[in-house]
Amino acid sequence: MSDLNTQSRSAAGNAADRPLAKLISRVQVQRGTGRMVLLLIAVFALFALLNPRVFLNPINLQNIGVGAPEIGLISLAMMIAMLTGGIDLSVVAIANMSAITVSSLYTAVAAGAGPEVAGSLSLLFVLAGLGMGALLGAVNGVLISVVGVTPILTTLGTMQLFNGLALVWTGGVTISGAPPAVTAIGKATLVGVPVLFLVLILAAVVIAVVINRTAIGRKIQLQGANPVAARYSGISSRSTLMLTYVVSGVLGGLAGLVFLARNPSASADYGSSYVLLAIVIAVLGGTNPNGGFATVLGVILATLTLQVVSSGFTAMRLSAYEYAIAQGVLLIAVMVFDQLKFRRRRKVPPPTPSETGDPAIPRRGKERAK
Amino acid sequence: MEMLGRLRGPNNEGVLAAVIVVVVIAMSIASPVFFTPGTFFGLARSSLVPLIFALGVLLVMISGGIDVSFPAIAIFAAYTTVSWSNQASFDPTLVGVFAIALVIGALWGLLNGVVIARFRLPTLIVTLGTQGVVRGILLTYIGSAYISAAKLPPSVSAAGDAHLVDVPGAGYLHGMLVPVVMITVLVWWMLKYSAFGRSIFAIGGDIEAARRVGIKVVRTQVLLYVLVGALAAFGGVVAVILGKNANPQSLVGTELDIIAAVVLGGASIFGGRGSVLGTVLGVVLVQLINNNLVLIGIPSTWQRAAVGVLLIIGVSIQALTAMRARKTPVLLEEEVARA
Repeated sequence: MSDLNTQSRSAAGNAADRPLAKLISRVQVQRGTGRMVLLLIAVFALFALLNPRVFLNPINLQNIGVGAPEIGLISLAMMIAMLTGGIDLSVVAIANMSAITVSSLYTAVAAGAGPEVAGSLSLLFVLAGLGMGALLGAVNGVLISVVGVTPILTTLGTMQLFNGLALVWTGGVTISGAPPAVTAIGKATLVGVPVLFLVLILAAVVIAVVINRTAIGRKIQLQGANPVAARYSGISSRSTLMLTYVVSGVLGGLAGLVFLARNPSASADYGSSYVLLAIVIAVLGGTNPNGGFATVLGVILATLTLQVVSSGFTAMRLSAYEYAIAQGVLLIAVMVFDQLKFRRRRKVPPPTPSETGDPAIPRRGKERAK
Repeated sequence: MEMLGRLRGPNNEGVLAAVIVVVVIAMSIASPVFFTPGTFFGLARSSLVPLIFALGVLLVMISGGIDVSFPAIAIFAAYTTVSWSNQASFDPTLVGVFAIALVIGALWGLLNGVVIARFRLPTLIVTLGTQGVVRGILLTYIGSAYISAAKLPPSVSAAGDAHLVDVPGAGYLHGMLVPVVMITVLVWWMLKYSAFGRSIFAIGGDIEAARRVGIKVVRTQVLLYVLVGALAAFGGVVAVILGKNANPQSLVGTELDIIAAVVLGGASIFGGRGSVLGTVLGVVLVQLINNNLVLIGIPSTWQRAAVGVLLIIGVSIQALTAMRARKTPVLLEEEVARA
């Protein structure tokens, strides 16, 4: 990854004004995603060979399509935050808050005015859920861009806070009930493809267009690539970061709606293991934890790869714990592989760790701290 | 004024201590049963394991990294040790149990250290990977069954009842307090006076500068993660002793709470800054709130939210103070806005 890091960082920084750099960065994008395509095909072929009867069963393939959206949306949210050199640990808590909002609004109205009235207000509830995501994302945004707290600490705190508020709201129990329209979407398929999967693809396309084709997307990339340069070129890091975390929150809210669509209930602690899984997916998908570089396609491919590995492991009757081993080994192996490839090609001393620093430690913060 | 500054401490330890005093006074007023030995013995007991973990997190954070694998390593080491001695019907004695677990923890730490230092990879992502591997190997190949008190080595179950002070009717102070305090003092001494401790600060402050003054960065980092792995294992064994059972599913998931306590204690996530005193105070404050909200009439469901608010306020104050301290970048931003 580091070969992408250092070069794409400079490439992305100049991409706006130098066609050559733009071309180079495009090729690198394709190589990063090219690797994920190969990996996806490889794991798919592996499980298809090992246990074709179970794995290639259309129901299993559909399950992959239904399972991918919630983790895919959370990974996209994580990717967007990482693109600016931050991280969003609170995204799963936001998703749960959104699901709880929709579920409790619906059940409250259904209990008061009857299920028919509540059903007709479905769209309103869905918007309320997304609004909750945006609001909580804005809380992150204010703390990060105005107060100046580093993203990892902000979202560590808000993760606890949002999770705590969800516990208070629900009293720690699972609440059930979801607008029928939402549950219907969870079950619907379009020419055999689950509609939820199409929701993920739609969200991915929107995010990809925003990042790669709009001015604000370029600002987000530049903010992550080189915050100091971004500041000098007149980009307001404040509004860029604010927008980034609101978008991340909305994606979290959308993930919450997908939770509800899959299973019409909401709780404070659903999907807590997704926080770390989303980081794994974002990094596997070629996102630079230091910011400045990420591809939506890479993240989607990584989501599918892990989903295929997960369902393949189930088909092979391997446990969830063996899946955890596979995740860990895959993550470390890909990073070590990238690092070795980078060293061989450059034939110069490897980058100092300050260059390949932590995602936890945005370079911007490091520079400010001195 | 100067004395006030000194009381505040280099990492706001004084502020934290003042907050703890205020919380204790408020809780005493709100609930007459709060200010009893039992409450404080309970506080001490529930702080033991988080404190050991927090010391490990502190060391990694001072070196400029972040570790999320320590709860997995802790329960791996502790569970493996007691499960082996259970299967072999052999009691290695308390010292033996600690020794075996520490070696296992140190080996996992060695893996973390080698991967991080040798390939210079981001610590959060590497330890995320090790977390999955360690937990997966434990539950797949070593055991996923709960080990009850009766199946623990007799020395371990006996240690669970070793009380330092016993106040009839009010509770007891657990004996494990002694080794935990000893380790805390040892870590404090190491960070303050040993060359190794100073190197950790130097690496966290500026890794390139540390290299140029002749610190062997790779060796120090590897050693650091070995030490942190051993500390995690120690915490795991203490958790088994206090809980009088070994549950392979336990501990994992607590990593972010521990990191929150360390951050509250004033350690800098950028590395190079942090203190043992601040960490102890951070852990105590979080445990104080976790244990006693119910006592003062606040439902326990507010626990997480309360700790979250505390953490956000804590890091916000730090960020605002830091922003005021370095004026230049702020001015630059204004200049840009004007231009």
